[in-house]
Amino acid sequence: MNLKSYVDLVALLEVNPSSREENRAFGLTQVLLKNRPMAQISAWIDLYHNTLKRPLLSETFSSYLYNTTLTLVLMAFVLGFLSGLGLLSYNGAEPVNVIYFMVMVIVLPLATMLLTGISMLRAKSAQSILVHLSPAFWMEKMLSLLPGKIQENITAFKISPLLSNWLIIKRSQMIALFFSVGLLLALLAMVVTKDIAFAWSTTLHITPEVFHGFLTTVAFPWRDFAPSAVPSMELIEQSQYFRLGDTLSKEMITHASQLGEWWKFLAFSTIFYAIFLRVTMFFISSFGLNRALMQSFLTLEGSMRLLKEINEPMISTHAKPTNAAFVSDDMGYGQIVNTLDASYDSVQGWAITKDEILVLSDTIEVITPKHFKVGGTNSLDEDDEVISKSDGEVLLLGKSWEHPANEFLDYVIDLSRKVDKIIIMPIGGSENPYDIKAEDLDEWAKKMASIQNEKVWLKLSTTKLQSGGV
Amino acid sequence: MPNHRQNTFMHPKFAVVGHPNKGKSSIVAALALDDSVHISNTSGTTTKKRSFPLRVDGKVLYELFDTPGFQRARRVLAWLEKHDVSADKKHEVVQAFINEHKEDARFNDEVELLEPIMDGAGIIYVVDASKPYGEEYEAEMEILRWTGQPSMALINHIDDTDYSAEWKRALGHYFKMVRTFNPMQTNFEQHMSILESMAQLKEEWIAPIKVSIKLFTQYQEQMFESSASLVARLVYESVSTVEKLYFYTQEASEEEKGKIERNYKDRLRDFEISTQKSIEEIWNHDHLQKEEKVLTFEGMDLFSEETASVFGLTRKELLITGVTSGAVTGAGIDLLFAGHTLLLGGAIGALVGGTGAYFGFNELSEVKVLGQTMGRRYLEMGPMENRNFPYILLGRAMYHTMKVAQTSHAKREVFDIEMDQTFKEKWLDVTSRKSLEKYHKKFRSGKALDAVDLKAYEALLNHILRHLIDG
Ligand SMILES: Nc1nc2c(ncn2[C@@H]2O[C@H](COP(=O)(O)OP(=O)(O)OP(=O)(O)O)[C@@H](O)[C@H]2O)c(=O)[nH]1
Ligand SMILES: [Mg+2]
Repeated sequence: MNLKSYVDLVALLEVNPSSREENRAFGLTQVLLKNRPMAQISAWIDLYHNTLKRPLLSETFSSYLYNTTLTLVLMAFVLGFLSGLGLLSYNGAEPVNVIYFMVMVIVLPLATMLLTGISMLRAKSAQSILVHLSPAFWMEKMLSLLPGKIQENITAFKISPLLSNWLIIKRSQMIALFFSVGLLLALLAMVVTKDIAFAWSTTLHITPEVFHGFLTTVAFPWRDFAPSAVPSMELIEQSQYFRLGDTLSKEMITHASQLGEWWKFLAFSTIFYAIFLRVTMFFISSFGLNRALMQSFLTLEGSMRLLKEINEPMISTHAKPTNAAFVSDDMGYGQIVNTLDASYDSVQGWAITKDEILVLSDTIEVITPKHFKVGGTNSLDEDDEVISKSDGEVLLLGKSWEHPANEFLDYVIDLSRKVDKIIIMPIGGSENPYDIKAEDLDEWAKKMASIQNEKVWLKLSTTKLQSGGV
Repeated sequence: MPNHRQNTFMHPKFAVVGHPNKGKSSIVAALALDDSVHISNTSGTTTKKRSFPLRVDGKVLYELFDTPGFQRARRVLAWLEKHDVSADKKHEVVQAFINEHKEDARFNDEVELLEPIMDGAGIIYVVDASKPYGEEYEAEMEILRWTGQPSMALINHIDDTDYSAEWKRALGHYFKMVRTFNPMQTNFEQHMSILESMAQLKEEWIAPIKVSIKLFTQYQEQMFESSASLVARLVYESVSTVEKLYFYTQEASEEEKGKIERNYKDRLRDFEISTQKSIEEIWNHDHLQKEEKVLTFEGMDLFSEETASVFGLTRKELLITGVTSGAVTGAGIDLLFAGHTLLLGGAIGALVGGTGAYFGFNELSEVKVLGQTMGRRYLEMGPMENRNFPYILLGRAMYHTMKVAQTSHAKREVFDIEMDQTFKEKWLDVTSRKSLEKYHKKFRSGKALDAVDLKAYEALLNHILRHLIDG
């Protein structure tokens, strides 16, 4: 898992190259990766990598990072080397004050590492103020002013503040490291090519004893195995140098070769404080960056969903979508009667018992010589027999809530061949035959419209209730 | 050998059959969580059988069939009776009927509904017990008996009248098992209990249905988790989002300031709308028609005190929230009754936290002018400073999710998302408010999102949702 795969993942999640099914199939086939989310994500990235548009943003991005880092590192190295040379330049007249070099390789690294430590703790914040101190940060700001499509791509890709903070922290460590390496090389080069007289000098009243104590403390990491790299009391006394006193004491000149012994101490200081500690910082920042990457992977919108799709069984309950949408024909029916006649040649009831038909005829005040039950438990032959007995005008009662099925329509059509007029009357419950729901009536009208027969009429209104009732 | 003998070792199948317009499709929609099923008050809505398999990773665990209602039952029965044979051969006659009438338009519905049964499906016979029993049902039940397939009856109530006693008497003659089920008001337990009954139809179906029930539980878990994570994301994104607007003049114009505010609000609304859509998809409610007030920022809006008191927190409650999350001591309660005590007692933290909440109430997020260098200045709006905002957003999201989760897949009416005053009490109590505030504060801070925090926040929302939906 690295920055490159992170950028790829972001790009992939945006194009969403795989369906839910494919993701689950991936999860089922990659059994070895089970319960290893990071490994799953990276395998998934590899699988869909080639669906991304070229040039890959991740490649542009990392080559951009690589290039800026390389430039900065080289610059830092050269700068380190040159400052080393400057600090150690010995004109033969004045000795080289080791304090300057010590500041450069001990105090400065320690101070910047402290700042780095603080920015590491604050890396979560959207804008860590301390990050702004880093040369890497400013270098990037400068570069982003350059025109170019690549810049556009990179700026369009919003990297999370957490990541960019860690990126900058890590790269700052590299830059500082190479600066220190430059310093060390300059020291070695100077020591090899020149005979330098080192001295120490300060305005502060520090006795050689105190200074010796201080240096011994500073040299704690190596004083046991490299005692020659710890300046002896004698050396310190000999190399103290007072600017305001006589320029160079006799003693110093006589011990000029001994004064060179300082270089070991300086070299070890550089190696430990500026290089070893920096390398440690570098590893810590690498670790931090990796953790930040992990965080970013896990908080990235879509990555959790992806993992879910890969690992959770895909459950579906629904039907395959059909495109055959149901078209409701909202046809009304033209042939409507509003009031019933006083008598009919026969009254028939669809799936209504004869007794009920009698009661109903009474309630709706219709007189008829013949009552027939049709449909329901009748056999088809029995229905045919009813048809043969029917003539003239027929009042056909049906339960309003049982919308007519085709069987009913079949019967109506057969009957219409025999009789002159059929009035179809949907009825409510036996307590009140006129208590019918409007929706039910609509459904009856729709069904009747589907047969379009001029002999068939539908009794629609419930007026009888208003005039006859109460 | 007829088909259904060979198929007994296949996954369980169930055909939902019955009279037209009695709620067959509604029941299937509810059981299959499919809101695309055609349901209407017109009888004969369903004209083709349709399969609704429960699939796990592509493997079918059981299959449910929606079928058209009987249209010419007596005619079919007459045909069968004409070819009467001994009881052990009756199903062959049904098969013969299907074979003979495949192309016969008159029997399209019957052929469609009998086919899955003859293919081995158990019968789920649906009746509407809000209407009286009638003799016209007998022919249908008789035909079903001819198929020889195991069967159960399911009583539905389309409206409130109840004739179930007479229905049960009649159904008892034909079905060993009679159950009641309301597809419009089903919940998880009822759903599972119907599945359990269905498993009883055949011994070898018990095991696969048990597995299916487990899966449904898991499925529901997935839905809750996904919803919680979407809502969490919504709140996080909405609170932390930052809108930028570049301008090239010396100073931003009023128009530009208006524009950034509009863009910012639009973005928040879009977040909400797309999250709602995704949540509907999670709960298989892709076709949900809803009527809802969008997240508004004006008038009776998100930030008016009136809305705040319905959806989010009142000024007073905010004060407590602010106090408790900022205070080290319990001095917060004193602060509520402010006056002089506000200045006299209480820890500094509480004071700052509390007053901050109070003053933060009416502000969205101020417009900042940034980037003075390099001639490219921009206006910036966000993260959301209004402390009430996350609660309003959450309240709306919770309400929406609850409604979606509780809505039957058989419902076809427009769905009204109108929150009432009591909802806030239902989802937000003091403890959950305190725990929520902790995360809202982090979201506001503009710090990078922590995976652990996000998980914890999701878990909190999941818990609240569970509580709301399962009751
Ligand atoms: N209120 C209420 N309405 C219901 C219930 N069940 C069904 N309905 C309504 O009854 C009508 C018919 O429902 P469908 O599910 O289409 O019935 P169906 O049996 O599939 O009908 P066909 O396909 O025409 O045979 C619809 O308007 C449903 O909304 C219920 O339990 N409660
Ligand atoms: Mg239907």
